[in-house]
Amino acid sequence: MDHSQKRILMAKTGLDGHWRGPTIVARALRDAGFEVIMIGMANTDDIVRAAVDEDVDLVGLNIGGHINVALRAVNSVREARPDVPIFAGGTVPPHAKKQLEALDVEVFPPGSQLVDIVAAADRLTGRSAD
Amino acid sequence: MNTKDSPGVIRSSSGIELKNYYTSEDIPESHRDRVDSAPGDAPYHRGWHPTGYRSKPWRIFQLSGFGKPEDENERIKFLLKNGETGFIMEHDRNTADHCYNVDHPEVVARREDVGLTGAVMQSVRDIAICLDGLPVDTSFGHAGGAVVQHAPFALAGYWTVAKKRGYDLSKIAGTGQSDFNLTYLGCVTKQQIPTDAGLRFNTDIIEFCGEHLPRWVPVSIAGYNAADTGLSPDQELGTLFANAVEYLDEIKRRGNVPLEQAAKGCAGVSFRASIHIFEEAAKLRAARLMWSDLLRSRYNITDPKTANLRIHCVTAGSKMTYQQPLNNIVRGTLMALTAAMGGVQSLGVSGYDEALSIPSEHAHQMSLRIQQVIQEETNFCAVTDPLGGSYYVETLTAQLAEKAWEFFEEIQQQGGYLASLDSGWLHAKAAENQHSEFMALESGEQHIVGVTCAKEDESPFEVDGFMGTDDAFDVATERLHETLRTRHEAGACAAMKNLEAVCRSETNIMPVMLDALEAEVTLGEIGDIYRDVFGDWNTPIQT
Repeated sequence: MDHSQKRILMAKTGLDGHWRGPTIVARALRDAGFEVIMIGMANTDDIVRAAVDEDVDLVGLNIGGHINVALRAVNSVREARPDVPIFAGGTVPPHAKKQLEALDVEVFPPGSQLVDIVAAADRLTGRSAD
Repeated sequence: MNTKDSPGVIRSSSGIELKNYYTSEDIPESHRDRVDSAPGDAPYHRGWHPTGYRSKPWRIFQLSGFGKPEDENERIKFLLKNGETGFIMEHDRNTADHCYNVDHPEVVARREDVGLTGAVMQSVRDIAICLDGLPVDTSFGHAGGAVVQHAPFALAGYWTVAKKRGYDLSKIAGTGQSDFNLTYLGCVTKQQIPTDAGLRFNTDIIEFCGEHLPRWVPVSIAGYNAADTGLSPDQELGTLFANAVEYLDEIKRRGNVPLEQAAKGCAGVSFRASIHIFEEAAKLRAARLMWSDLLRSRYNITDPKTANLRIHCVTAGSKMTYQQPLNNIVRGTLMALTAAMGGVQSLGVSGYDEALSIPSEHAHQMSLRIQQVIQEETNFCAVTDPLGGSYYVETLTAQLAEKAWEFFEEIQQQGGYLASLDSGWLHAKAAENQHSEFMALESGEQHIVGVTCAKEDESPFEVDGFMGTDDAFDVATERLHETLRTRHEAGACAAMKNLEAVCRSETNIMPVMLDALEAEVTLGEIGDIYRDVFGDWNTPIQT
């Protein structure tokens, strides 16, 4: 098991300023011992730049709008950092959830439990073996 | 929040310890002689009107809008045809909240998001399309402009269209919003004018409406946006009145208009109606009582027309679940009933698909039907303030008002409402509550049906997110170019110059904003002037 502190980038893909969800998740991840780099509202270029510059182990996307905006961010991060896993949360309707899951993005819609999100972060960053 | 400290202690969302049952002895002494007041009489907790919903049921008033202005127009007509009794214009949040045109690089980078949360309206031409055929003279319209920096544009656009159609502005009824809780607390956007500039805009709007549009609600402070960000009901109340005194103290300092006229302009507010049904109804009763007490004690205003708070409610969007979305019809019904028991003047019920997307046509229809069933079938409207005299609700009403005044005082100790936004103090309060709400769910102290318990779902109804139209960005881009190409350029430039000069002065912004809309100045151009003159708010939180 890797004991170095794992780094998670958190970004909002949309221009909508609802901050409740990502803030709660960021706090839970910090409480669980992750280093969280919050860049807030960010376009695809901002997200890719931060994922590279900050040398993160996991990217978390808060999605509030059209799935294509999120897919663009996912594909660009994958191109720049193919080794980095991505997970996402927000108002993601079922059809959009399926599209993200097809790209190997784990999705946490509203109502998800923090404990499950933290467990996913553990698994995706290799902090736990399961 | 909502916690049971031990099996014997149950608290309300505001942290008030609840008893197993109540008697007359529980009603605080100071409130006892107010219990038997009549609706329409001070301190108004029993209702704003002597004959309540017998005279006029609450206005059915739904947020609505997406896509192109003509898509939004069509949806509003659908709602009016189905029984909505006022209408609300939603502007696309990407462009409107930031005062960007669609060609702004941050918008282009998210082009598919454009139109998802409201129609794109960049000039008076777009607003005219959205309002086409809508009864702006006889209907109560909400012009949009929820975010403070967007409000002068949205209002001036609505009024310009009304004027062009030959209506007398002094006779038009409707509402703006320009809500600080949304702008600086609940939905902190990328670029926003600083709070002191926002205060100036709102006091300009209040003064302008007092003079020229006496039937218009100039600004509407939204407790909703504080509550759905995490503030508890007592904090929602305290914050709302801390916001109101910020406006009124500023208007008093400016001394341009009679304070009573300005106070009337602040007397149309909105609250969240959430799921703790008795506490929420008590909150609305407490709100009327607090406003009346505040105006009397702080400003010596007692005129019933002003001291009588008018309330719009929206049911709590954050209580609508993603899982088993049809359960949200039940939640919407309970929260609508709460709002009605609290005596609101207008109500919007969140769509059952709220956690997935903006409302589909069917979800919107259900939001209307919920309200119509209560109004038409239950005999609800026969009796005003049906909870009046309940030992429990009267006690909660008084306790909530008391707790809310304590929070109001805490805000004053932070230097006032604006200071508590600038420092992030209010955001921290909301975040604390968000966290404890989540912890209560994770520990199993609290439950949400379909989410933390009763998770089996055999529903044959598939509810997927409503995505609106896919041509909003392209059409908005074409229309922007067309407006810039075909407008009278010299007139538009002159109007922008005047607007900038007024922004740099202390003159009321609304007359030049009306000129700017008339001259077809676009939203992004106005935003550029704001950014140049006022700079950006220094956001206290990372969003």
